[in-house]
Amino acid sequence: MGKYEWLLFFHVTGAFLFLGGAVVAWVLGIAAARRERPSEIALLLGLTGTAAAAIGLGMMLTIVFGLWLVFDLEVYDLWDGWVIASLVMWALSGALGGAGGKRDKETRRLAERLAAEADVPSSELAARVRDPVALSLNIASSLLGFAILAVMIWKPGAGG
Amino acid sequence: MIALIRPDAWNFPLFLHVLGSVVLFGGIASLAVISLAGLRMPEHATLLRTLAFRTTLLVVWPAYIVMRVGAQWILSREGLDDAPAPDWVAVGLVVADGGIVVILLLTLLSWLALRRARAGVWFAGLAALYLLALGVAWWAMSAKPGA
Repeated sequence: MGKYEWLLFFHVTGAFLFLGGAVVAWVLGIAAARRERPSEIALLLGLTGTAAAAIGLGMMLTIVFGLWLVFDLEVYDLWDGWVIASLVMWALSGALGGAGGKRDKETRRLAERLAAEADVPSSELAARVRDPVALSLNIASSLLGFAILAVMIWKPGAGG
Repeated sequence: MIALIRPDAWNFPLFLHVLGSVVLFGGIASLAVISLAGLRMPEHATLLRTLAFRTTLLVVWPAYIVMRVGAQWILSREGLDDAPAPDWVAVGLVVADGGIVVILLLTLLSWLALRRARAGVWFAGLAALYLLALGVAWWAMSAKPGA
């Protein structure tokens, strides 16, 4: 195996962790939004920490090894339209996902507090766990992640 | 270097295959996270086992079908469906086709786990093992050893 194959492997590993982590976060987030008891919501949102770690690590691997590939291969250039579009979408995806994740973290803390008190359903928690702003931020972040995948495959405008 | 010189007609089947693969990886990772949490927190085991069963049906199976259909489509575009498969394709095919048996077992075990707690242990172990197998498959697909 040559250098290109190893770089591509780590870049693809990053993509799997990033997008696979997003799938895990959605599975747990949707399940949490369908529950009423604070202890169950706290549990499910707490498990999304594993997904957030995978997403963070995956994003770092994609950017480091993606840029390495661009600099290493003569056929690609940092100023290619598809590379710039991917970088912009990567940054936006991270920013939107970070903002959505922050709101989800606040919801988890509320759920943990309510679970420790009486663990009875609360209208405030029900509203927070179905927060349309957090939902929109997370949807936009995930869609951008999958759009990057499409750009990586089609590479619009690439010479190769 | 095939990714650099791929004809445009291969892009959509490849996208389907990769999309199915990452969602399948995320689905199996969800099963591993949920089932291991269920073993650690028996007070929430019923909730987590129900979620594992639904995730198997609603995420894992559809993703598997998209991944496998995309794989067959790209194989036929590359003219590899009739020829002897290169090593890196063979590894992917073993993990993909073996995946039917594994996902059937996961479905059965997640259903059984709703009734018998012991099945949850086997389910967690099998989900974690298949996650590793998917890692081997994406190594073979991206690094293409022997190509």
